[in-house]
Amino acid sequence: MSKPRNIRINPTSRRNVLKSLLAGTIAAPFIGRPLLGQEVFSEGVSDTQIVLGTSAAFSGPSRGLGIELYRGSTAYFTHVNEQGGLFGRKIRQQLYDDSYQPDPAVTNTTQLMVEDDVFALFGYVGTPTVTRVLPLLKKFQDRKFMLMFPFTGAQPQREFPYGDFAFNLRASYRQETGGLVDNFVGIGRERIGVFYQADAYGRSGWAGVRAALSKYGLNMVGEATYRRGTKFTANLREQVEILKTAQPQAIICIGAYAACAAFLRDAIDGGLEVPIANLSFVGSENLLKLIDDSQENSEDYTRFLVNSQVVPSYSDNTLPGVEEYNEFMTRYNPTVPEEFDDDQYTTFDRSFVSLEGFLNAKLMTEILRRVGESPSRLDLESAVFSITDFDLGIGEQVSFHTDRRQGLDRVYYTVVEDGVFVPLRNWKGTFS
Amino acid sequence: MKITKLFQRTVFGIIALFGLIGISTSVLSINAVDSHLSKEYESNSEGHARTIADASVDIILNRDLSSLQSLIDQFLKIQGIEYIYITNENGEFLAHTFVPGIPQSILDSDVSNTETVQRTIRGMGDFVEVASPILAGVAGTVHIGMDLKSVSMKIQAAIGAQVYLIAIVFIVGFFSAIWFVSFASKPIVQLQSYAVGLAKSDSNEGSSFAKLLERKDEAGDLARLFQYFSTVADPSKLGEDQNSPESTS
Repeated sequence: MSKPRNIRINPTSRRNVLKSLLAGTIAAPFIGRPLLGQEVFSEGVSDTQIVLGTSAAFSGPSRGLGIELYRGSTAYFTHVNEQGGLFGRKIRQQLYDDSYQPDPAVTNTTQLMVEDDVFALFGYVGTPTVTRVLPLLKKFQDRKFMLMFPFTGAQPQREFPYGDFAFNLRASYRQETGGLVDNFVGIGRERIGVFYQADAYGRSGWAGVRAALSKYGLNMVGEATYRRGTKFTANLREQVEILKTAQPQAIICIGAYAACAAFLRDAIDGGLEVPIANLSFVGSENLLKLIDDSQENSEDYTRFLVNSQVVPSYSDNTLPGVEEYNEFMTRYNPTVPEEFDDDQYTTFDRSFVSLEGFLNAKLMTEILRRVGESPSRLDLESAVFSITDFDLGIGEQVSFHTDRRQGLDRVYYTVVEDGVFVPLRNWKGTFS
Repeated sequence: MKITKLFQRTVFGIIALFGLIGISTSVLSINAVDSHLSKEYESNSEGHARTIADASVDIILNRDLSSLQSLIDQFLKIQGIEYIYITNENGEFLAHTFVPGIPQSILDSDVSNTETVQRTIRGMGDFVEVASPILAGVAGTVHIGMDLKSVSMKIQAAIGAQVYLIAIVFIVGFFSAIWFVSFASKPIVQLQSYAVGLAKSDSNEGSSFAKLLERKDEAGDLARLFQYFSTVADPSKLGEDQNSPESTS
């Protein structure tokens, strides 16, 4: 097993605690002072901290997703911590980088569960990673670990046999793809092709499109794939040609921003001028930045874009939750985690991904509050189920119960206007 | 290293024998390794296909296809497996590992066929494709493509190692044979020189061939016999021969 990509000294590690205790005990007589104040953690909780474990993409072509999700969460947790924390405990994320690759995600999660003994897993990114991590939750089910609000809309953590080990906040890919198909079919674009990542994430979205089309007695007219980790500089004309042959009237992309931006570029350059839709996972701002930075007339490309989102627009300050997000992002302006900051990544002031991270953190804080003064993993699930009609301030109430482990269902659709994503109000007018 | 004419044929015979053994062993070995490894790779692939087929039943019937994709992605890490695809009972592709898309030759093929076939896929190469039915075929079929080039490379590597070993044995045997023959012919060369010396009535013969005359083998016997004949033919040498450490009985 490869070593976990640790990015922080881990104060919650029992091994480290034991080492520190041992070192302190040996050193105490010599420095003439007994060992006091050493934090002792149990289930990721000490007198002053509560630790959540995160494995996400902080490097590689999809790092924008992990970084922005983390920044959004950090904005809210920083606010909570500045207010004194929860019952005197500050919320801290123990971070590991998996580069959006399944094997490091498994290694990191094992570290978080076995060595670090965090309170819960939070802020995970991606379907291929989460899908591989889920069996670990089942393996350690006696220790009651929960995966909280992963940044993926895939089904495996929403259904048997792993559904009982996770809680989701966002709408699923089925809901996103279903909504896109409904809207495209609604404006007469029934010939739908799919461009997708050749892995569990791509397949999840592909299956969503297939199921949505079957409602109308339709099949997808063509499909093309790309390998996970494909960069924006990659040539995707082959994929464009495959889809072009199928003469689609719309294309749904299930991928990450680098590859989807490359596909958009090559599709328009190749004359495939049809609406090109992306799911929320794509990282809309990262995609737009790649197109803006590389093309002189970026509008020629972005006018075909329609991205589904699982959170409302961050420019909609009529929503108190969004206003709060904007305020906290300005006030705390979270940075790239220090250990991953190679000065190569430029953060976004606002993004759909960081807004999702913010809402995840807000709900997580409420759940931790409900777990109580003496947090135990055993009480986590019942605390989540106590959330009924909870208002995150985005115009949709959040509820959980034993048959419902997903908080939100709404899907939003956005297009690019004047270089930013804005809500899509009129499908027919825009794409007919 | 000089080899007597008498033993030259023996050396050539030994070399020819070694060569024959080497070539025949190599041929047999190549056939055995080729056949064994080819069968083993095919059998392993069939095993993987069966494993995926067994694991797929529950996923296809009860779960999301992303789990199925995750399953086959893990098998793709096995060396030699180049592609995997799963079709349902209607021939619809449920999961696959092709990039940038499903090759036309596979789209055109009978995906319900579970016999092992060899395929040439344009832009990808040559493959052996094995298949296994899911739930006796009523839930679909799993297909695994093994890269023939990769399999051939492995087989060639295994054969190369065997041939390399045989070649080393052959070379060592070759030089050993020359050395042994040379070693064995040394007393005969000495005997020949001794006999020529006797014939030339060289007075130093007795001292320079002392070791030869002491030998207990046939070369020693012959040397002593030559010495005896030379004294019989020329009794004046009798006194000279008394310098020799051992006179012929």
